[in-house]
Amino acid sequence: MKSSLGLLYEALRIRMVEEKIIELYPSDQIQSPVHLSIGQEAVAVGVCSNLNESDWVFINYRGHAFYLAKGGPLPEFFAELMGKIGGLSKGKAGSMHLASPENGVIGASAVVASTISHAVGAALAAKIQGQKNRVFVSNFGDGAMEQGVFFESLNFAALHQVPVLFLCEDNGLAVHTPLSDRQAFNLEKLVETFGIQFFDISEGYNPEKVSELSKTPINIVREQQIPVFLRIKTARYKEHVGPGEDFSAGYRSEEEINKWKALDPLINDSSLEKFKEEISVEINEALKFAYNSPVPTREDLLTDVL
Amino acid sequence: MSSNTYRAALEVAMNDAMDNNPNTMIIGQGVADFKGLFGTTGGLAKKYPTRVIETPLAEDSIAGICIGAALNGMYPINTHIRADFGLLVFNQLLNLAAKYRYMFGGLFEVPMMMRMIIGRSWGQGAQHSQSLQSLLAHIPGLVVVMPASSRGIKASYDFAINNHKGPVVMLEHRLMYELEFEGEELKLENPLFGSILENVGTDVTVVATSVMVLEAKRASKYLEDFGISVEIIDLHSISHPDKEMILNSIKKTGKLLVADTSWAQYGVAAEINRIINESDPSLLKSPSISLGMQPAPCPTAKALEDLYYPDVHDLVDSISRLHFNRMNHSIPLPEKQSMTDYYKHFKGPF
Repeated sequence: MKSSLGLLYEALRIRMVEEKIIELYPSDQIQSPVHLSIGQEAVAVGVCSNLNESDWVFINYRGHAFYLAKGGPLPEFFAELMGKIGGLSKGKAGSMHLASPENGVIGASAVVASTISHAVGAALAAKIQGQKNRVFVSNFGDGAMEQGVFFESLNFAALHQVPVLFLCEDNGLAVHTPLSDRQAFNLEKLVETFGIQFFDISEGYNPEKVSELSKTPINIVREQQIPVFLRIKTARYKEHVGPGEDFSAGYRSEEEINKWKALDPLINDSSLEKFKEEISVEINEALKFAYNSPVPTREDLLTDVL
Repeated sequence: MSSNTYRAALEVAMNDAMDNNPNTMIIGQGVADFKGLFGTTGGLAKKYPTRVIETPLAEDSIAGICIGAALNGMYPINTHIRADFGLLVFNQLLNLAAKYRYMFGGLFEVPMMMRMIIGRSWGQGAQHSQSLQSLLAHIPGLVVVMPASSRGIKASYDFAINNHKGPVVMLEHRLMYELEFEGEELKLENPLFGSILENVGTDVTVVATSVMVLEAKRASKYLEDFGISVEIIDLHSISHPDKEMILNSIKKTGKLLVADTSWAQYGVAAEINRIINESDPSLLKSPSISLGMQPAPCPTAKALEDLYYPDVHDLVDSISRLHFNRMNHSIPLPEKQSMTDYYKHFKGPF
């Protein structure tokens, strides 16, 4: 368990990595779309603070924060985004398909909801094989809960009692469409219909709070080896995809996001200033690795197909 | 008497998979019920209650569960009692399983098998009878096999389960389940990649898939009496056929008939013709012929269904046309009789 200063440091580190991406993006050195985690870092950092190395997190295309919070290496992260051979996936994955199996970051998919069932399957395998004390986290956004596979996965996990944490990172938006235009169901009641315990955290801006409040649901999964649902409310500060802001588009209000920003310790906690230089040094070192990494060649084009 | 039916070969393959590897799981609708997926998984649920898993009617999630289980050390065998239901797993199979290894630069492997049964018998209609091989074989990352005999099953299932580290789709044909087979054990270096020379001949090459291999053999036998010698290639691996075998055969005969269980357009027939055209189009001494389902969804009415599928009658006609290089030939055609009627009464050995 990390100290709270450690948690804030980690959240700040992710924020600064994302801001570096914004800075670099116009140079076209990052050769794929980016779905930034800015505003949502506390969710990843808080949850991962309660996970072990042997726990697995199944992430999605907005996966920078979880990749880094779970221990994915930073130099390889930048190399992957730049399409360099030094990325963990040799540049074939890019921003949307991050993975770091050594750290329990299992492959990110860019098709919404498509890794929820993977977490259930890995947890089923753990049960069959008698693996003890492991937690399989399925990380998805609120939009994913409208897919049929979400309901199917809840049903199967409850039916077979497998150790999955269903983790909804609820930023209230599916691309540009608010939750109220998309969902007719009451999530808490729905989850409880399956006999799955429901936990709710509304302080998704605060890594310390998320860490403290996610401890119980994660421990239930670990100790009882049963499924649990955790929703964490959070806010996406940037546009759906890309480095910019899009408040002028009119689909959401800037005031709403400003309320989150007013609570965001990464913006308001001046004691964090002192860490920025150290983090900058780490980021610049990581970037150096990425710049120096070669691009893949024709030799790499047809490897790992089968 | 020991049985060498297609079904018995599948039953043995499933038993071996479960008995020999504690990480195999069989998961799908009907795998644990009293019918045991047409008798191919019968008794296994009792023997291995935690690894033979009956499922909710939820193909999409089950396919994803198989991927997750494979990532965590299992070998999942996911079954679809009708291949048509397999269309519900296309997101997981095409977007995830097929791409998992490549997309993550080799960080992961998802060894798993999808058994899809082509439901064609009589009256199965538009959604219980389809052959999806060309849709699947189009996708890099997938291995697609259509076993056309018991020995084809014996050679490829065990190998797939124990040696291949990615997703394999086995398209089984319901019409063959109760048929008896004979023939020597196959010696294929990699039984997931390659085709089987089923009959050596000199006049016309028939490249056939699945149950059409049996129809080709019937046609070949019939034409023997008229002095026409047919070479039959059981394509077997749809995704990775033996191109050399096909080209060498065409070099010899100069004549090609493709007999597939599915539609011709953008399908197996198109692919075989591509292979020849891109190698040496002058090998063909006359235009090739393709036989497949009529270009429509499958009708239920038997009168229409019998017209919908090609059979030995159409094969004899096409082979004769190729042999004599003209539309009209003097070979009398066998009576048109539906394949389902025929195989109901004659069960081999083939």
